Amino acid sequence: MLVVVLCLFGLGLVSIYSAGIGVRTSTMLFVLKQLVWGAVSALVYVSVLRVGYHHFIRYSYWMYGATILLLIALSLIGAVSKGAVRWFQLGSLSFQPAELGKVVLILAMSRFFSRNPPNSLKNLLTALALSGISVLLILLQPDLGSALVYVAVVFSMLAVAGSPGKYLGGLVISGLAAAPFLWKTLKTYQKLRLVVFLDPYIDPQGAGYNVIQSRIAVGSGGLWGKGFLQGTQGRLHFLPEPHTDFIFSVYAEEFGFVGGVIVVLLFAFLFWRVSRAAFRTKDIRGKLFCIGVAAWLWFQVMESIAMSMGLAPITGLPLPLFSYGGSSLLMTALALALVQSIAVSPVRDKFSQIA
Amino acid sequence: MYKTLDHFDVDHRLIYVRNIFIFSLSFLIVGLVYFQLIKADEYVNLASNNRLRMIRLLPPRGNVYDAGGVPLAVNVRTFDMKAYPMDLRYDEDFNEAAGLFARHGIPMTSQDLRTSVEKQYVAPYRAISVAINLTLAQVSDLVMDPEFPSSLFPSPVWRRIYPGGALVAHVMGYVGEITRDELEDQRDLYYQAGDIVGKSGIESMYEEDLRGVVGDQVVEVDSRGRRLRDVNYNDPQKGSDIRLTLDLAAQREASRLMDGRRGAMVVMDVNDGSVLVFFSSPTYDPNPLTWGISNKEWSALTDDPDRPMMNRVSGGAYPPGSVFKVVTAAGILMENVANSRSTVYCPGSFELGPQTFRCWRRSGHGTEDIVGALRDSCDVFFYQMSVRLGVDKLIEWSHEFGVGERTGIDLPGESRGNLAGREWKRARFKESWYQGDTVNYAIGQGFLLMTPLQLARVYAAFANGGRLVTPRLNANKKPEWRGLKISRANMDMIKRGIRDVVTRGTGRSAGSYGIEIAGKTGTAQNSQGEDHAWFVGYAPADNPKYVAAVLVEGGGSGASVGSPLVAQMLAYLLGHNK
Repeated sequence: MLVVVLCLFGLGLVSIYSAGIGVRTSTMLFVLKQLVWGAVSALVYVSVLRVGYHHFIRYSYWMYGATILLLIALSLIGAVSKGAVRWFQLGSLSFQPAELGKVVLILAMSRFFSRNPPNSLKNLLTALALSGISVLLILLQPDLGSALVYVAVVFSMLAVAGSPGKYLGGLVISGLAAAPFLWKTLKTYQKLRLVVFLDPYIDPQGAGYNVIQSRIAVGSGGLWGKGFLQGTQGRLHFLPEPHTDFIFSVYAEEFGFVGGVIVVLLFAFLFWRVSRAAFRTKDIRGKLFCIGVAAWLWFQVMESIAMSMGLAPITGLPLPLFSYGGSSLLMTALALALVQSIAVSPVRDKFSQIA
Repeated sequence: MYKTLDHFDVDHRLIYVRNIFIFSLSFLIVGLVYFQLIKADEYVNLASNNRLRMIRLLPPRGNVYDAGGVPLAVNVRTFDMKAYPMDLRYDEDFNEAAGLFARHGIPMTSQDLRTSVEKQYVAPYRAISVAINLTLAQVSDLVMDPEFPSSLFPSPVWRRIYPGGALVAHVMGYVGEITRDELEDQRDLYYQAGDIVGKSGIESMYEEDLRGVVGDQVVEVDSRGRRLRDVNYNDPQKGSDIRLTLDLAAQREASRLMDGRRGAMVVMDVNDGSVLVFFSSPTYDPNPLTWGISNKEWSALTDDPDRPMMNRVSGGAYPPGSVFKVVTAAGILMENVANSRSTVYCPGSFELGPQTFRCWRRSGHGTEDIVGALRDSCDVFFYQMSVRLGVDKLIEWSHEFGVGERTGIDLPGESRGNLAGREWKRARFKESWYQGDTVNYAIGQGFLLMTPLQLARVYAAFANGGRLVTPRLNANKKPEWRGLKISRANMDMIKRGIRDVVTRGTGRSAGSYGIEIAGKTGTAQNSQGEDHAWFVGYAPADNPKYVAAVLVEGGGSGASVGSPLVAQMLAYLLGHNK
């Protein structure tokens, strides 16, 4: 699993470098920052592995509470500065609580479902209420993409934790029913992003521009790609946010179909390994945690890559391990370290039961 | 009703969810197959640069005004003929364009065109300028030509002009196309080949304020290069305006007074360091430089023996001669080598071992105290006192007055002058410091070099009661100064001396212009030729407002040449700003 993670991170670095060439700043800046974050993440990975996942799950309610407080603090700051605020600024580094929230939510939900399986309506509704708070706060930021990740995570965990089919079906139906109301609460630019993905040529100079340019980038990559640093779309500022949201477009333009398929297969292998950890462990909380992480990463991979081809709306979600961004990388490392800890601990679990 | 989770059930559901995750990825693969394999050709075409073109829109630079709001640097619209390098690849493209220009009286060979295109090249679809500085009439003439190639298109640009012309050349500096070295050295990657940057003066000093923000335009064109539609447009933003402390009318007066002689004149507000007059003579017109001049014209400017492009006010270092004596006097008084009652008898010369140092007045001044020595510019007084003071203290006090350091004026290319001391002499000549060097130093000769601006600053410190101000040209820059360690009583003694210079001493010719000046004459010996004439002074003497320094290279006597110039300049300003 570690090999796959490092491969993805490495390819990400290459693409970030390439994307950085187009941006009007020192070209190495993003790569260096990302490397620093990579080192920090490696440190987190190792230390989490040593600590073991039990402790994390034990304190998950507290952490969840703290995250909610962080999100509330962020909304308050946002209210004061009258704009979208998704970051805490710590010196030159910024930190996105929404990313932290993903791991913490999965931890908290694993603990909750193991005690209160969502096979009763009461438990199900309590779970929805608990997770709903953070989803609501994220929506207020507004960060539609992350909110959708939360929804996907909770839904997958519900499904695995044994919710009866009728409950799940009910949720889907009520979600669809609520959609028109949600639609009304969206900001205009969010609506535009959702619509242009259906037909980018509605607004080719505005919102659709990104979709068209990204599609051109991916499409013009062809079978083998244009080669490292040979992409023109990212370089010429045609792509917005080439090192974060549209990193896959930059990558696919330079490394083509072959490179794209390799990345997809690497992610497939990663999901395989994460779900294998879920099978192996005897701990129901571990199983649920693994599936939550898989759901999270899966959703972001699907969204980010589909978006680069204009097959999904633009949400600004990073491609895990690949995109430039410290919070996302750090939290992915934390989650994967916990998964690894689950994978290696069935043996240790027995000991702790004896003790 | 409590029911624990059944492992078997969970694992069963897990397999489902895992399979959904993994197999849904094939949707992405299908997408990649569709876009990267099936429709690749179409997208390669779209991306292959023949549809989208980028034009860099340079913003107008910020205007520069003098203290009264008179424009010193502004922009006018002219036109560039632009093209995309990808449309100018073959000889016939160049010949066609060159032929067009030739028919309309614009001399340009196809070889010139090719070199110019190669020089500006960034990317095939990034527009470059084929011909610049065209008037509206020329452009319409060209475009109406039946053989006007579709690859060319006119683009309006801003050109810099300096209404003050030669009067403010050394202050304003000028702009020009960025050089290859400047491009490689830039820190923020703002510039591209063909951009205009400040090359000297205010234009260079405040480049980042004046330049504004570049805009760009992305257009989609058809296969023949005709514009179909705008894809993206970012407005360029004009640079910030700057108001200077300079007074253009006074600058004109300075130019009239200097009358083409080599030299410098600077006038500063004694209290806040605002520079009102900053005139280096002879001067040059910066306007042709911004429009691009030929190598021949350029070398005519740079090879001129009078060196018109040299900024003599802050960039020229000269022996200060007797105007330096106020600094020596301050050292003598502050170190208690002399007080108001100390006198020296001047027989016309001073013996130091085997050497004889002459006073400028061969017949001698008789008995002089410090006030009298300043008034009569008696060299022997300062010779004798400086030997008692010693070189180290003398240099310490010179340093206190900012000798040998930049004044910090907001203009590039400032000289430090030369505050020569023991170490300097050893490093430079491998000789130790002799007392004879000290004696020369005391009267502003020898190794000592100062700029007219440094001297104006020294005299401003006497005028404002002991603050060494930092000269400034930008009116929005905060005034700065450093307090000097000189006592009020000693300062007043020196001020009395330099007031007497004008009322009954060497600078009497400064006294007949209706204002009360205090100042000092200087006639500096110059190893390269005629003596330099100096006068530095301030007015009104009892409540000083302005300090002025004048230097005439090889001008001869400071008394007869320097002092009337300063007096007329100060009289003009005080009369004007009453």
